Amino acid sequence: MLGSILSQYARTLSVFAVLLLIVLIEALGVREAVYPGLLPFFTWMRESSWLGVIGTTYGSVYATVEAVHLLSMAVLGGTVLATDLRLLGVIFKDIPSETLVTGTHKCFRWALLVAILTGIFCAAGVGDKVYYMQVFWIKMLVLLLGSCYMLFIKQPFLTSRPHAEINPWMIRLLAITSMLTWFTVAATGRWIGFS
Amino acid sequence: MINELLLQFGQWMEAQQYSQMLVAGYYSYSWLEATHVLTLMVSIGSLFIIDFRMLGLVMPNVPASTIAARLHKPMIIGFVIMFITGALLVYAKPVETIQSLWFRMKMILLFLAFINAWVFNNRMKGAEGNWDNDPVAPKPLRTGAIASLVLWCGVVILGRYIPYDWVDCTNTTNTTILWAAGCVDQLNAL
Amino acid sequence: MGDNNKWDDKTVAAVSTAAIMLGGLLYYWVGEGQSTVELLELAYGSVKFFNNPLVF
Repeated sequence: MLGSILSQYARTLSVFAVLLLIVLIEALGVREAVYPGLLPFFTWMRESSWLGVIGTTYGSVYATVEAVHLLSMAVLGGTVLATDLRLLGVIFKDIPSETLVTGTHKCFRWALLVAILTGIFCAAGVGDKVYYMQVFWIKMLVLLLGSCYMLFIKQPFLTSRPHAEINPWMIRLLAITSMLTWFTVAATGRWIGFS
Repeated sequence: MINELLLQFGQWMEAQQYSQMLVAGYYSYSWLEATHVLTLMVSIGSLFIIDFRMLGLVMPNVPASTIAARLHKPMIIGFVIMFITGALLVYAKPVETIQSLWFRMKMILLFLAFINAWVFNNRMKGAEGNWDNDPVAPKPLRTGAIASLVLWCGVVILGRYIPYDWVDCTNTTNTTILWAAGCVDQLNAL
Repeated sequence: MGDNNKWDDKTVAAVSTAAIMLGGLLYYWVGEGQSTVELLELAYGSVKFFNNPLVF
């Protein structure tokens, strides 16, 4: 009986396991213990890794990669807005929401991949500077959670059944969470640039 | 002549109270720039989806004219916000921006991108009904889509270069660059 | 929502994840708004967006 529930609700249990892990990391002070040990890595990234050396030596290369990072985020934002605004019934009302959800996902994944790769280069170019920024760590956390949410939770759910069978409020919740997540990633990323 | 006029216009704007307030405020310039950059996701995001549809990369089973028509409004709203925030950014730092080589190149590419969009729009209206349900648009429209992608990527990349001072008026003695960037005082001094 | 079970694994996971994430993000942004307002009040004794060198 228990085994049956565990296997039927594996995804849900994984979600709560991750939540428990986050709570334990905070409550047991694991984050504070690990944080100082990360500084040598960030310093190495900027001073010694070839990404960091190229980024700090050639400002034009760094600026171009930053621009590609922006472009990939524009594409990512476009796919997220197109899909989520359709789920909220704001645009594309004459096209089935299932079509938009499946039709934009490949574009979203490629944009996310390019954004992450260019983001690694950008972070390497500033290394220990972002290590000390709280807004950087918030962006990383939201990026990780947002990516997992999109790839393992939202997309599988929305492609598993016709949307007419889903409670409209559930769809709205998923869409609003998605939009706010990627807005937060973009806005915190912009604030890193100002800091 | 044009460079002198532009410099005078920039200096006049710089002397305005609101221009100085925009730059002096702790939050104002940052919020303006953040809005300009974040609205990229709305304006260029929508535009790139339309272009990608023409190339068959996104939603190939949805009529292309439908995607273009549905995303037209968000795209225009995004571009209006971009234009307003962009104009205010120029207003906040007018001389620095007007004498930026990258800004000038960005404006040229922006103009070409709008021309391309206008030509593309006309072609799309003319071709409606024949190819709309095809996964990939006909060659003239694909060419227009690729040109659009290249031009807008150029606009964003050049926009990203503006804050950098590699070829600022005070950092170069190359007469071509000084002329192209409208560095009137530095050219006169040479 | 599914033939037999309204609350299947994907549904429960989706609702709980979305609710937790939305709650967390709203908490973050409300906090950001609050700290901005506090900064403005600290500097000028009241929150104002115009004739306020901290903003415009």
